[in-house]
Parts: sequence; structure tokens; C-alpha cells
Amino acid sequence: MNYMPGTASLIEDIDKKHLVLLRDGRTLIGFLRSIDQFANLVLQQTVERIHVGKKYGDLPRGIFIVRGENVVLLGEIDLEKECETSLQQVCIEDILEEQRLQQHTRLEAEKAKHLALKERGLAMPRTDIMDEY
Amino acid sequence: MFRYQSLDEDCTLEEEEEEGLVEEEDEIDQFNDDTFGAGAIADDDWQEEHKRLSGLEEQKNSARGGAGTVGGASGDAGHLPSTSSLPLPQHSSQPPPGLGEQGGGDLADALARLILGADPAIARACGPAGPGDRSRGLPAPPSVPQQHHPQAHPHQLPLAGLPPGPPHPSLLSYQQHQHLLRRGGPPMQQVNSHNIWESNMGFGPVSVTPGLVTHMEDNPLLSIIKEVGLPSRPPPMMSEDGRDLSERVPPPRSSSPVIGSPPVRAVPIGTPPKQPMSHAMNHHHQQQVHHPTAVHIRAPVHHRYPPPFPERLSPNTLLNIANSPLCRPPFSAGVGPVLSQLQRAQMLNSQVAGFPRGCQGPPMLPGGGGFRPFFGQPPPHRMGPHPGGPPPNHNHVACPVIRHNTTHLHPQHRRILTQRMQSRGGDRGGRVGDRRSRDPYSNLMTQREKDWVAKIQMMQLQSTDPYLDDYYYQNYFEKMEKKQERDRDSIRKEHTTKLITPQVAKLEHTYRPVQFAGSLGKLTVSSVNNPRKMIDAVVTSRTDDEEKREKQVWNKRRQILYTVEKMYSLLLEVQDFEKRFLLTPEEQREALLEQHKTQTLQLYGSLKEKEWDDRVSDEQCLMIMSVRKGKRLISRLLPFLPQPHAAAVVMGIARNLPTLAKKDRQDQVLCWLVEPVAAVVSSLSSSALTDLLQELQGSDGQLSRVLQNKFGVTLLYLILSEGERMQSSDPNCQLMDDNRWTELVFSVTRELLNVAPSSLAPPLFTPPNLLSLFSRYVDRQRLEQLQEKLQISALSR
Repeated sequence: MNYMPGTASLIEDIDKKHLVLLRDGRTLIGFLRSIDQFANLVLQQTVERIHVGKKYGDLPRGIFIVRGENVVLLGEIDLEKECETSLQQVCIEDILEEQRLQQHTRLEAEKAKHLALKERGLAMPRTDIMDEY
Repeated sequence: MFRYQSLDEDCTLEEEEEEGLVEEEDEIDQFNDDTFGAGAIADDDWQEEHKRLSGLEEQKNSARGGAGTVGGASGDAGHLPSTSSLPLPQHSSQPPPGLGEQGGGDLADALARLILGADPAIARACGPAGPGDRSRGLPAPPSVPQQHHPQAHPHQLPLAGLPPGPPHPSLLSYQQHQHLLRRGGPPMQQVNSHNIWESNMGFGPVSVTPGLVTHMEDNPLLSIIKEVGLPSRPPPMMSEDGRDLSERVPPPRSSSPVIGSPPVRAVPIGTPPKQPMSHAMNHHHQQQVHHPTAVHIRAPVHHRYPPPFPERLSPNTLLNIANSPLCRPPFSAGVGPVLSQLQRAQMLNSQVAGFPRGCQGPPMLPGGGGFRPFFGQPPPHRMGPHPGGPPPNHNHVACPVIRHNTTHLHPQHRRILTQRMQSRGGDRGGRVGDRRSRDPYSNLMTQREKDWVAKIQMMQLQSTDPYLDDYYYQNYFEKMEKKQERDRDSIRKEHTTKLITPQVAKLEHTYRPVQFAGSLGKLTVSSVNNPRKMIDAVVTSRTDDEEKREKQVWNKRRQILYTVEKMYSLLLEVQDFEKRFLLTPEEQREALLEQHKTQTLQLYGSLKEKEWDDRVSDEQCLMIMSVRKGKRLISRLLPFLPQPHAAAVVMGIARNLPTLAKKDRQDQVLCWLVEPVAAVVSSLSSSALTDLLQELQGSDGQLSRVLQNKFGVTLLYLILSEGERMQSSDPNCQLMDDNRWTELVFSVTRELLNVAPSSLAPPLFTPPNLLSLFSRYVDRQRLEQLQEKLQISALSR
């Protein structure tokens, strides 16, 4: 167990490839170059990976600076095991299209649910228009 | 259109005055000259120029001789007559354009080759061709001038001598831009300073291995420099031991802009050495593995002087560029020898840009001059092939070195942590280490910065009382220690004698606001401790009568609460007595016991009447019991009181039950008392019990009121059941000796019969033997009625 408290434990993760999950749901993969006491991260050669089902696509992003509070989790990527993924990589356009479809179906389902509830007299506030508390 | 004529009027150019009325073109040329140097004049077609140069290169390659000397290098200068016409830019503000200009395209070309010599693209282009293709291995496309002169790029492609290679442009544009945007800056900026050229000149022939010198002579740029000659430069000595003491002399400060911030001379106390030996050994090994024929630039040594500028600009990035080809998959192992060549070039470049690490030379000087001592210093030492490679990059092995002044970990723990880190690092070091060495962007975060972040976290852990602040960590560590003790018995024993937790001495910071002398009142200076203006709080007494009365009421309540609190603290002590008793050693136990007794007495003392020892003060009792907390207190207190005292308390409760019941109407917490009272009642003697029953019925109408209260009913039933138990169990009991009991029971039964079922409060529980009690005293009919009452009360409500 690592006993450097808090952000200091990230020190030994520097210069390694990491996968970072952000609060908005994005997945970033990049080399962790620098940190600070708030766990703000500097990622280099960052790639935003979009997952849809069993497929994924990579969007090259360059250098990312992530504010620490927006990180949900991050983990080191084992470079050897990275190749052993069962997911299938597709090109960017395809994955964006897939993502769009996924969003679309989700929205449709949401709308249908909302309508059904409304018919029954229940008005659930839609989460996308609700303020984040 | 920019009117040079108007500029004439403003500027005071000699040329203008001399020439008088000048044509615009001449003026432009003149201005160009001043700005870019004479080389800015586009005399020839750059394409032609370039072709010629490349042709020359081809010739050179075929006619190249063996190990070169200075003479050899200068001999090559003859091949490039055209470029000799280019004087060095003296103090140009925009050297790259100047270099990249038409006529200077070759200069830029060659320069680019020098700088980019180590580039992966180039290396790849020449591929496994080997060192023989060194010069050819420097294809034209430079990206540095590319930045400034896009048109320069296409012309590089139709180079005659270029092998049909992999896509340079794309590769270059990515990689080189990446590398050179960061690194290309400094060399280019320094290009205009003739110090750079001097230094190149200076150590070129002296400090490099024969192989490198050959490379140098290929380089037309350097040959140009040699041809042109640089004044005020002591002739470099070519000695066998390679010591060029002249290099130690710090040269005059260059006018080139300083890259990065000025050097920090003072090493802050406690700054760890930048480059621990462990890394040195790793790199040593690494370089051996990958670059067997590489020139050893310098031995990794403990760095004693702080770098003159941020590390990230120079050594790692520069050197790692040489290594970076290795991380690209297409590279084959055969790249090795080429890379060594490249590394030599790299060495040049890195030293051009400055090289702060590991030098044992004289202290660094600011600015470009500061770089100088390193130039001569390391290379002369390394004449001939040495094992090792380019100056070690500062990729750390997995372990962050734990500094003593930055952590407040337990010393034992620190040791364990270091071990763990090292073992972990050792496991991974083999394969990760070399990967790290190829990473051009590693160590962007210096060790100092890492320590700084760690320090921040550690500072938060400072504590004067670790067992209080960090109980779990302390426990964890104790367990860990014990485990280690078990695992490695003999070895560790001497270490685990005493647990010394690092503690920070508690500093008393009494905050006193800053006061200015001679000012009226307190002027406050806002600080981090005192962000707001302080209010002068003055005590004023209110004289209103009403307020007084109100205050009295509140005062009384406050007093009650205060009494209750004091009693509570006593009670808690009494309650904890047993725990403490077990912990204290034998000798102190008696004292503890004594203390316990006094405390118990004190408790009772606060309840009892002033003079009578066996009677609880009504006033006191009422006062305390009027508060919810007081009732709770009494309920907790009762078990600890000795028998007579407890009985007295219960008596007091019984006596005052109606009042208590009334006061309790809001809270309804009297029932807390049931349990302890029941315990007391069951321990009462018969006479006491009778007394109690009497107390309960004391005044007129008391009983009816008692019956209306849940607690009262419960108490009553308890008493009766106790009496019954006594009677039935012990034939010799004295309950029946006097008539009191019987009379009392009779009155109870009367009351019970009379009371309306609705007003009879349901007790908490109905003892089962009541019926048998009543059966002794009443006839059948009444018994049945009583039974009804009992049953109705208990179950229905």
C-alpha cells in the first residue's frame, strides 16, 4: 500500500500512460506529465476514447490540463496489456456516428418515458434541464 | 507602400547622408544588410545553389578520407565557395530568416543538418545503411527553416543524393516540430551569437572523438566557420588527454537571449541532489545496452550546482531525441550505430543549448556564458570511446526518493516505504527503464517539484498528538511492525524497540492584533489570521424590570441545567469507575475506590435535604426532574446509589409524582425511570415498601392523579406486585405485621374501582401477580371488576 497521502501518491505515476475518467463521462488516455496538490493533471499525447458498445474510437487531442476536481478516477495503463483488449477500434467518423446513434436512442427513450409519465400525471424533471446540485 | 524616403528623414543613417538621393532599392538593400547581414542579398538562385551544394556533398562522400583533423575539416571548406560568401550574421535580430533567405538557404540547410542530425527522420532515412552514410544520412528537409520559409521545403526534396526515402515531410513535420519547437528554439536563437559558433569551433575538433570529427568535417557549416575564422578565440588545443584548459575560461557574455530564467545559484538547504547515483548507474547501464559505440559525454555524477535554467529545456529533451527513434516501432536494432553518430551530434547540440548536469567544472555563469564551462569540460575528458551514452536523462526509476525534510513519516515507515518502492522499481526497472529513456518528454516535472507536492501533503499530517489525530495510521503501523517482527525475527528486533513518532513541537501562536501606538481604539490590520475588522465588544447591563424578570426565569432554568451538568460529569466519572478500575495497577486501586465513594456521595448529596440524610430534598428533586435531562440523569444515577440513598430518591419521586407528572406532560419521559425504579423497588424492605406506597398516596387525590399517569400506574403496580411477591414468597415477611399495608392496598383497590376506565392510564406493563394480591383483600365481585380494569388498561390502550 502506498502511504504517500493524497495527491503525493500520484508522483510515482508521472510519465506513465494513464486512463482518466472525467466527470462529464469522457475518457482520456495520455501520459501523465505533471501534477499539483489539487491533483490537477497535465496529460500529454492525449487521446479521447469514445466507447460505443464493443467498439471504440480515438480522437487525438494533444495536451490536456485537467482540473483535479473533475477527475472521477484514473489508472495506469499497462502498455503490454493494452493490446489485449477485446474491443474493436474503428475510425473516428464511425465511432462518432455510433455515438450519435446511441445518444439519439437514449433521448428517444427518455422522451417516451417522460411522455408516459406525463400521461399518468407524474411530471419528472428532466435531468438535462435540472440544475446540478 | 512603406516610404523609405520618410524613413530617411527620421533615421540618421550614414549611408543616406553619404549617398544623398538614393534610390529605393539601394536603401532597401542597405536596410536589409543592416538587419540580415550581407548574406541577405539574393545574388544567386537558391535552387542552383542548393543543387551545387548537394552535388558537392556527393563528391565529398566519395572522396572522404579517414579520421579528420582540424586541417581536414578546414580543407572541406574549399568545396563550398559559395557559402563562404556568407558572413556570419553578427547581431541579427532575425537570424533564421537571414539564414533561410535565398543565399543563406545553404547555411540554413547546413545548420539544419547539424541540428537535426540526430533526428529520427533522418536516421530512418538512412536506415540500416550504417555510419558510412552519415552525411547522406542528413537529408535536407529541415523543419526549422521550414517554419520560416515554407518554400524552402520543396526545394529540399529533389536532392540528388537523397535516397528514396520514407515520407520525410510528414514524419518530420510531426516529430521534428515536436522536438524542435521545443528545442529548436534555443539553438536557433543562439545562432546569431557568434559565441555559439565559437564554442562549436572550440570543442569541435578537440573534444570529440575521431568519428565525430569526421562528421564535423562533413558539416559544411562548421567548415565555413573555420574558414571565416572567429576572432578572440584561443586556438583549441588538441591534446591527447583532451584537457582543454582554455575552455575553462569563461568567455565574454553573449548577447544572445538567455533561455529560461537566470540560474539560481543558491541551493536551498535540504535540496536533494538532482541526480542520485542510482540513476546514474541505471543510465550507465542503459546506454551501454543501446548504444554500444556511443560516445560517453560525461559520467553521471552527483550534480553539485543547480542548473542554470530549467532542466526540461535541455538535457533530457535533447538527448532523448537521440533515443526517441528507439521508441518508434519501425526502427530496427541496426539503428544503433547510426544513433551513436547522432548522439555525437546530439552532444554538440546539447552543449550548444547548454548542459547543466553533472559537470564538475567551475560554477555556472549566468546567460550563455554559463553554458560555456560545460562545453569544454566534459568532452575533453572523454576522448576515445567510453562506455555509456549521452548524458543521463533524468528519468527516475520508480521510486521517488524520500526526503527527510519533506516527510513526517515515521522513520521506520520511511525505510519500509523506500524499500518497497525500490523493490517495485527494481522489478519494473528492467523493462520500464529503457522505455523511459526513450521518452522525450519525461521529467517535465522535476524532482524538486515532486518533493514540493509531497511536502504539501505531508505538512497536513503534522501533528502534536499523533494518537489523537491519526489513530488509524498509528494502529496500522503498529500492526505492520508486529507483522514484520513476526516475519523476520532476529533481524528486525533491534529496530523495533521504541516507537518514535516524529512530532512537531506545538507552537503557541497567540494572536494579538496589531495595534498602532497613539491611535484611538483598535485599528486592525487584516491578515490571514484576522480577515475582518474586530468589533470592540463592550458589556452593557440592561436595567429594565421586565427584562430582569425574564432574566430571572432564564437564570433559574440555566441554573437547573448547570446543576444537572455538574451532576452529569460526576455521574460519568462514577460510571467509568469500573473501566478505570481495571486499568489501574494494584496500588492505586484503593485510592480509586475512595474517590469513587466520595463521588457517589457527592451525587447524592446534591439531591438530598440539607440536614436529613435519608430524605431527598423535594425542591432539589423537583428542580432537577423538571428538565428532561434531569430525569435522564436520575434514571442513570439510581443504579449507582447505595440502597438507602436510592430508596430515598424513589421516595422523593413518589412523593412528588403528581407535580412531576404535570411537568412531564410535554416530554413524557418519566418512563425512563421505570427500569431503575423497578430495580430499586424490588430491593426494598417491606417497611420501606409500605412507606413507599404511603408516599404514593400521600396527599388527597394524589392517587387519582397517580393513576392518571402512566408512570404512576406502573409504579403503583410495581409496588403492589413487589408486596405480593414478598407475601407469597416469604411467609415470614413483615408486611402484614402492621395494618398499613393492608390499608393502603384497600385504598388502592377502592381507587381503582372508582376510577373510570378512560382515565386510568395504561401502565408500561402489568405484573401478573396483582390479581392474586387483590384476591386477598377483596371479594369476588370486586375482584372481577379489578381484573377488568387491569386488563383493559394494559391491553386496550
